[in-house]
Amino acid sequence: MSPLNENLEFSTSQQNQKRKRQFRNRLIVAFSFTFVLMLFLIGRMAYLQWFNYDRYHGLAEGNRISIEVLPPTRGKIYDRNHILIVDNQPFFTLSLVREDMKDIDAFEAELKSLLDTYPQESLDKFFATFRVGRRAKSYTLPHSLSEQEAARFAVISHRHPGVTLISRLKRTYPYQGIGVHAIGYVGRINQKEIKTLDSTRYRGTDIVGKSGVEKYYESLLHGYPGIQQVETNVRGSVLRKLETTPAINGQDIHLTLDIELQKFAEELMGDRRGSIIALDPQTGEVLAYVSMPTFDPNLFVDGIDSKTYKALLEDPNKPFINRGINGQYPPGSTIKQFVALGAIEKEIISPFKKIFDPGYFEYKGNRYRDWKRWGHGLVDMHLAIAQSCDTYFYELSLDMGIDNIHDAMAPFGFGQRSGIDIPGESKGILPSQEWKRITKNEPWYRGETIISSIGQGYHLSTPVQLARATAILANRGKQITPHLLKQLDSEREQTLQIEIRKIENWERVIQGMVAVMHGKTGTARHFGVDLPFTMAGKTGTAQVFSLNQADYDSAKLDKSLHDHSLFVGFAPVEKPRIAVAVIAENSGSGSKTAAPIAVNVIKRYLRPDLPLTPFPNNTGNDR
Amino acid sequence: MKLFDHKQQMYVRNREFLERLHLDALLLLGILLLLISGTAIVFSASGGDWEVTQRHLLRVGFAMGLMLFFAQIKPSVIFIFTPILFLIGILLLIAVQLFGDIGKGAQRWLEFGSVRFQPSELMKLALPLMMAWLFAHSRHPPTFTRLFSGFMLIVLTAGLIVIQPDLGTSLLIATSGLFVIFFAGLPWKLIVGGLLAAAGSVPIAWEFMHDYQRQRVLTFLNPESDPLGSGYHIIQSKIAIGSGGIEGKGYLGSTQAHLEFLPESTTDFIFSVISEEFGLIGVILLLAMYLFVIGRGLWIAAQAQDTFTRLVAAGLTMIFFVYVFVNIGMVSGLLPVVGLPLPLISYGGSSMVTLMIGFGILMSIQTHRKMLAKQ
Repeated sequence: MSPLNENLEFSTSQQNQKRKRQFRNRLIVAFSFTFVLMLFLIGRMAYLQWFNYDRYHGLAEGNRISIEVLPPTRGKIYDRNHILIVDNQPFFTLSLVREDMKDIDAFEAELKSLLDTYPQESLDKFFATFRVGRRAKSYTLPHSLSEQEAARFAVISHRHPGVTLISRLKRTYPYQGIGVHAIGYVGRINQKEIKTLDSTRYRGTDIVGKSGVEKYYESLLHGYPGIQQVETNVRGSVLRKLETTPAINGQDIHLTLDIELQKFAEELMGDRRGSIIALDPQTGEVLAYVSMPTFDPNLFVDGIDSKTYKALLEDPNKPFINRGINGQYPPGSTIKQFVALGAIEKEIISPFKKIFDPGYFEYKGNRYRDWKRWGHGLVDMHLAIAQSCDTYFYELSLDMGIDNIHDAMAPFGFGQRSGIDIPGESKGILPSQEWKRITKNEPWYRGETIISSIGQGYHLSTPVQLARATAILANRGKQITPHLLKQLDSEREQTLQIEIRKIENWERVIQGMVAVMHGKTGTARHFGVDLPFTMAGKTGTAQVFSLNQADYDSAKLDKSLHDHSLFVGFAPVEKPRIAVAVIAENSGSGSKTAAPIAVNVIKRYLRPDLPLTPFPNNTGNDR
Repeated sequence: MKLFDHKQQMYVRNREFLERLHLDALLLLGILLLLISGTAIVFSASGGDWEVTQRHLLRVGFAMGLMLFFAQIKPSVIFIFTPILFLIGILLLIAVQLFGDIGKGAQRWLEFGSVRFQPSELMKLALPLMMAWLFAHSRHPPTFTRLFSGFMLIVLTAGLIVIQPDLGTSLLIATSGLFVIFFAGLPWKLIVGGLLAAAGSVPIAWEFMHDYQRQRVLTFLNPESDPLGSGYHIIQSKIAIGSGGIEGKGYLGSTQAHLEFLPESTTDFIFSVISEEFGLIGVILLLAMYLFVIGRGLWIAAQAQDTFTRLVAAGLTMIFFVYVFVNIGMVSGLLPVVGLPLPLISYGGSSMVTLMIGFGILMSIQTHRKMLAKQ
């Protein structure tokens, strides 16, 4: 029976008549119920508003205890030698309460004539929101006033009730762009962050770490706000301070960076794009973290103006890219020593076996060229590393297969995040049959193994990964985690050790790297000759396009400069104290640019008394 | 079965404009009065914040649009879709348990892209509709089986909401279902017996409450025990109300709200701002407006022509009253704080949308009647 049928039937149905009568009765009951409860509410209101008016009126008048938030001071940041690298500086600004102000337009006009350095655009924006905001709330000008501006305001302040000159602390970066990609910067809390941040902890705070260490250690640096109870008058101005719970300031932290070494390394890079990562191989401490070009983090503290921001964003050199953790480069020949170690460990080749290199390797009718046109002649593993012989590794790779190359490199951290304490690290790519099947849904081809053996093809590594792998090799297998926060020995995590079958295999490949620097035919022999310590190194030259391919005008550059120049190395070989990875984008062969940069960074750290090793003119074109 | 009797004749359709839009003039008048007053109060309670007020107006406009839309839908169509709607509601409540978003210690939200949605809000309409659907076919008085299945549906719905946990909403929704059963003809002896049983079960309920719920009840009983903690809201709210006196402090004169002593002054505690600014006189006027809307709603129920629409109209109207009563009772310290906005006045949110859809249905019931002669 549908309701319509019932509907048409009701006038005749006895039962429905009865039902309808009962329904009407119940409506009357319901309305009476409603009416009585409404009267009851009115009674309650009369009780509060009439009989107890005096009491509540008195309480409202005496409602003078209000709570003020005391924001914590953000922790400062020092380098490993206790040099202050991130500071809080006092500055002046204005606080405005609309309810207490007489004439906002007049004040705005007068303020604009008073301020000369203050960004006009931001001032207009501030007044636009201030005019429609809460009447009784105090608003603070987003930018700081210079001392002269503050003094000028102080003179006229008596004419403007509701406007107060206040002093605040502002995050400052005295070293400006130096190390910015590691240290990071703070900026104003945005809409997205408001949702995720703990609102109690961020009461009274309008900045938050946006990148680097400033973001990673936000919870250490921020602290907890305090609360102050103040007695106010009815207008809300403070008469007397009552009880205070002080703020717990953020912790000061020490980084492992050596800011002087950092500065030196950045100067070495000059206007090249790229990255230098220097680690202490024993502990994983990051001594220098260079990503070039840099930008000034002080621009972001007050909120960057849109013109400067756009210019930085559209800069073809892409200063915002954190190349150390997000620059994914083909590692080129800098991985040969890891492939070699894997091959002798699995006894795929004897380290003493000699291979003849005519300058190319032929497979299925394709010629894979060596970088040296006429070939290296007869080479064993030691020479193959020292001279970076491609043909040796082409031939070896077919005996190894891609999965053995993968297994040899994986323990050194390729294809995985290094775990460095900077947010947003990229993983790179360490290819294998399984990787290709999963990501590309294609089988692996043997020809791809050949180019993989010299770090081309699918291989992609970040500078931090290369530095970490080099440090692990320098340690003879101790798998450290690179980190920027200085830790006590007791806080350090247990590190794992790569177990190998034959302990002397470590020295076999490391001696190949020593020959790169100190051997007669080593690819970086020009930079190793005068060194007072033994250094191990490996050059690399990645045949590619730049990171920002689209904006890259290749026609303007010498052809050889298209390649990325790479170098990894560590010293002293006997007891390594520093491991370095250098990538200079589009700067030619590894021995031309990256090698002298790395040698100078290592010299500066181990023997600052020694003179700079000059960049080569035409000598260093070895790959 | 006789169809149109000769004594029954069709009334000529009123060609008035509102009638063509399927709007009921008197109900609309009451709603508009409340919405206009609400907007003025939101402006004052937000401390004169234009942006908040504009956003409120946008939401009011949106809710009005929905009311207009639902007024066009014939009750017979609503009848057909009711079980589907209810089933969707139940499934969404289960989905909330499985994939819901957790906010402030409760799992109440579902996320569809960027839209967050509270399925319990849908149930505020779906449950009374479903109960009316169930009793539309009922014999009179309803059989035991039908009463029992009605109670089971209420228990199921309220149970799914109580485990979110959201005791306040679940009680309100259960109440809306109980009102429909009451109007469907629940025998008085069962009503009295049920009320006694409910009173007896209070100590048992206490055992099953979450800590924050017990805390609310305890502070409600003695707010002064914790003046800076959870009792703070109630104390400040009572000060706001009491200090308004008989005539009030005048529009925009609420010091309690402007000095930010009052919490959530634009939403749950907006009644305190009204009481502070307009005094006892303002409160009585406001309650009169509410009573007018409720009276008209019950009148529409009395005029409705079949069991389904009668029950829907009466049920939706009574639940509107319950929201008003609970909110005012809460801010004036008569009831525990459950987190419920003042209907049609508070800064708009999903609750305003639900209420306005409900009014749309009421208008549809009133304006889609077949015009029959008096019997």
